[in-house]
Amino acid sequence: MKEILKYALILMTVTLIASGALALVNSLTAPKIEAQKQKELQQGLSNVLCNVDYGIIEKQQLNGHVYYTGYADKDTSQLSGYAFSAYGLGYSSTIWILVGIDTAGFITGINILDQKETPGLGARCTEIKSGEKNPWWVEQFRNKNAKTISVVKDGGTIESITGATITSRAITNAISEKSKILLQQLNNQG
Amino acid sequence: MQLMKEFIKGIISENPVFRLMLGLCPVLATSTSVNNAIGMGLAVIFVLFCSNVIVSLIRNWVPAKIRIPIYISIIATFVTIVDLTMAGYFPELHKSLGLFIPLIVVNCIILGRAEAFAGKHSVFSSIIDALGMGTGFTIALTAIATFREILGNGTWLGIPVLRTHFEPVLLMILSPGAFFTIGLLIGFLNWLEHYRKIHHS
Amino acid sequence: MEIKMLLIISVSAIFVSNFVLHRFLGLCPYIGVSKNLDSALGMGMAVIFVMSIASAVTWIIYYYFLVTSPMNFIARWFHIDPPDLTFLRTIAFILVIATLVQFVEMVIQKLSPGLYRSLGIYLPLITTNCAVLGVSILNIDKNYNFIQSLVNGFMSGIGFTLALILMAGLREKLDLANVPKAMRGTPIAFIMAGCMALAFLGFSGLKIG
Repeated sequence: MKEILKYALILMTVTLIASGALALVNSLTAPKIEAQKQKELQQGLSNVLCNVDYGIIEKQQLNGHVYYTGYADKDTSQLSGYAFSAYGLGYSSTIWILVGIDTAGFITGINILDQKETPGLGARCTEIKSGEKNPWWVEQFRNKNAKTISVVKDGGTIESITGATITSRAITNAISEKSKILLQQLNNQG
Repeated sequence: MQLMKEFIKGIISENPVFRLMLGLCPVLATSTSVNNAIGMGLAVIFVLFCSNVIVSLIRNWVPAKIRIPIYISIIATFVTIVDLTMAGYFPELHKSLGLFIPLIVVNCIILGRAEAFAGKHSVFSSIIDALGMGTGFTIALTAIATFREILGNGTWLGIPVLRTHFEPVLLMILSPGAFFTIGLLIGFLNWLEHYRKIHHS
Repeated sequence: MEIKMLLIISVSAIFVSNFVLHRFLGLCPYIGVSKNLDSALGMGMAVIFVMSIASAVTWIIYYYFLVTSPMNFIARWFHIDPPDLTFLRTIAFILVIATLVQFVEMVIQKLSPGLYRSLGIYLPLITTNCAVLGVSILNIDKNYNFIQSLVNGFMSGIGFTLALILMAGLREKLDLANVPKAMRGTPIAFIMAGCMALAFLGFSGLKIG
């Protein structure tokens, strides 16, 4: 019995020291990780709201939907567009997309935040050709009406990635569905 | 000389991947590109180094009956340190290695070395052992990643190496490619060993 | 909706993202214990059992002790603001799994000596089987709820067992085949695993709903 107590005490000490060390490391790295996430989000947002590079982006919430409003200038009277995240079930993963639209509902830019699609097929949705800034596939979304887009196979205008119709369709439909909901909500609001 | 032997053993005669068949999961999963392979290799070297040092330092005070949970706690601590640091400073690498960073905890190489070597040897030889084993693991991982990235994507460490009209063999990046590559590599090493033996005798 | 989601999780865990052939988890036992069918079956059963329990227990640990949520027990017991302890995830999970495996071993030994004789030797090996820790972390990463985590744990275990049994069946036949000397043993097992992974890739075209 005494032996068990001794062992329990030793194990507890070891785990306490370990947790203490981890708490220390965590407190050192947590601000850095948070900053990384913020930076990624900010970069994504200014990327999809391409005309607000020097403006302000604000986080908004409406009936549980989180979205961001972008303003063209430092003053917040001139609304230039909205950004929101959407997700769709792709071929082998959930694809998260950040979408920017202008006030009329036309797409200003798209950023694929997270995907684990098949390399060489679906994953090409994030492929950037050398010398270019943005992935070539998502470029075709620019200036299209977010509510009505669909892939060619479904009678729309978005060209699918060769051999990856499911991925292409998932992204396209995710954008159109989410923008329909959000714009509806915004209209109701005023 | 003895130290050199200790170091080399981890790379060749007791290579953790090709000879001891330890830590196979991360080897196959993270060898899709050389970049990932090197990142994973460095993470494993760091954890192996730190856990070997600590385990060797406390080897005389650890009661034999509860040594395994103590070793696991030590390893898990260092793995979390790597996890957090990588998330803060190398977010891209952290994203692509994903699940396999926390899974270093159950990488049999690390617990195996703590149990089989560091728990019985001095700090200095444990360090050499960790460096040797870690390097052996990284070399094996990079070798597999080299085949997979060149054939599957036409690049090495992101640099295009095959001419543009080469159509990449997608299969090499996908899971079957990993199994084929490691199977053929181990087969080749076996053949080499056999060939060497015949020539020596 | 819930049922459909569970079905998707099940099919995906067994076929589409098979733990061994697609996610590369649990390879050591896959190559090590697949030499004959009986031991493969024993190992498989032990893994299914431990993975299901581990999924449930680690889910509770994570959501009731580690994250800052209203459910946090530490906050409720000590009447303090819930601390964010998510950085302890890895160490907490692995210790819980190690304890759990010991515990399961003792319980089985007491309750059913017959089952213990057939599963006993495989249980200690499971602690360092990355499939168990892997499924626990995946459940958290994918934001599964309790039921979904439990189903994912169980079905991933089934997927592991399926791959293991198929492999064992093949390897028993392989003993009779004429394989080049250098490729005998592990290398040819890997090549076969590659062929199986190739076959399983076909499942990724499945679409439910």
